[in-house]
Amino acid sequence: MITLQKYLKQSATYKFFTQFWVLFEDFVDTVGKITQVGLHVFKCILKGEIKLNELFIQCDRFGISSLPITLSIVGMTSIIVASQVALEMVKQGGSHFVGLLMTMLIVREVGAIMSGFALISMIGSSLASELATMRVTEQVDAIDVLGVDSISYLFVPRVLSGILMMPLVVVIASVFGVILGAITSDIFAGLTYRAYFDSAWLGLYMKDLGVCLLKAATFGGTIALISCSCGYFASGGAKGVGLATNKAVVWSFIAIVIIDMIFAMLFFF
Amino acid sequence: MSIEVRNLIKKFDEKTVINDISFKVNDGEILAIVGFSGSGKSTVLKLICGLIPYDNGEIITSEGDIAMVFQYSALFDSLDVEDNISFALHERKDLRKKYTEKQIKEIVAEKLQLVGLKGIERKFPSELSGGMQKRVSFARAIVTNPNTILYDEPTAGLDPMSSTLIEDYIVSLKHEINAASIVVTHQMSTITRTADRVIMLYDGKIVFEGTPQELLKQETPYTKQFVTASLEGPMQMQA
Repeated sequence: MITLQKYLKQSATYKFFTQFWVLFEDFVDTVGKITQVGLHVFKCILKGEIKLNELFIQCDRFGISSLPITLSIVGMTSIIVASQVALEMVKQGGSHFVGLLMTMLIVREVGAIMSGFALISMIGSSLASELATMRVTEQVDAIDVLGVDSISYLFVPRVLSGILMMPLVVVIASVFGVILGAITSDIFAGLTYRAYFDSAWLGLYMKDLGVCLLKAATFGGTIALISCSCGYFASGGAKGVGLATNKAVVWSFIAIVIIDMIFAMLFFF
Repeated sequence: MSIEVRNLIKKFDEKTVINDISFKVNDGEILAIVGFSGSGKSTVLKLICGLIPYDNGEIITSEGDIAMVFQYSALFDSLDVEDNISFALHERKDLRKKYTEKQIKEIVAEKLQLVGLKGIERKFPSELSGGMQKRVSFARAIVTNPNTILYDEPTAGLDPMSSTLIEDYIVSLKHEINAASIVVTHQMSTITRTADRVIMLYDGKIVFEGTPQELLKQETPYTKQFVTASLEGPMQMQA
């Protein structure tokens, strides 16, 4: 005879809540670990525990190596937006707002968030899989046993390179996006470069640039911290590396969208 | 006394993996920890070197470093042999400024020579055989002149000749640096050729303690089953 307890355990509702509880536990556990590691990393940075040669290697990886893919994604997004907006605005007699709209859009949102997405897929995933592989092959344990602080050694150059290089990447990608917007507007709507750039500066304030740079630095640090943490706390073998990489990408995507929303509410409402 | 473990208990979730074990290892002595897979051997090493916290008991070590040689060497694959061996000298706060680059190079060459390797400083781990990787990991472990060395299955996955070579290095390192050593192993040759004493773990408890010769005499059901590698006996393999 099936007992009430057994019946409940077989029910879809019970399974749903069990699954939800497991996810919730994992969420709380991951947030706790990332916060703990993040505090430790920033303490190390403030103490000046920075290895310059390793920092340069990571800056090259975060900034220079990722530039082609970041420029492609921001550039193509700008072309798509400009091709949609320019023709319609010129038709409606708003040609003198095309440059303004494109610049505002790229500097305030597209440049940072699309660069963030590009860096998550390119750098975040590689950071997570690198550290996860080190974890499952006991290299992280070896660092600790040798008496070296593995969090400081592995995280500090990576997180700091994210904070330093992301603003640079975003500035280059945004300038590239604005220029491609002008070319697209010219091709699709016959808008002159002069008309485009005359209005481009109208909607741009120092605050926008400041917020853009601050947001980019926050994105860079967040992507590196989350990706490294997911890799660092990986377990198991090849499957563990895959899960850690997957988790790093998903969490980074969610985190930068949330941060973007917070920035929008703080600075532009 | 170099290491003393007293009433050590470690639980993972609700499962007790190490259940109230106690033992001592003196300087210049090699203790082999044996037992079937999943008996908690490697966990004991990780508890001693502080990689995982224990729930109860005490681990008393004398002043000095604890080094560990990992089962699959755990060399840093992005660093060459020299950087692997000198890692602690470059990165550890207390050692960072103690040596000049020239001195570090000399120490690396000396440690490499101690494990029978020469002229491979610029090679990366992926360019070395399994046996060579293991010897490089020995050199990395002893670079800080530790007074305790932990070996996690040092001959696993090696051919018989490489295993013999590694066993010889374990014994020669004992004489060279007079460290207290713990070797976790399954292999009878490693036990008989290196160990001064043996403890056998089963289900997180010590079920035998004695010399390798006493182990080979098979006087208890546990030693008999282990030495004859029999499926019949008090130790049940987990399905």
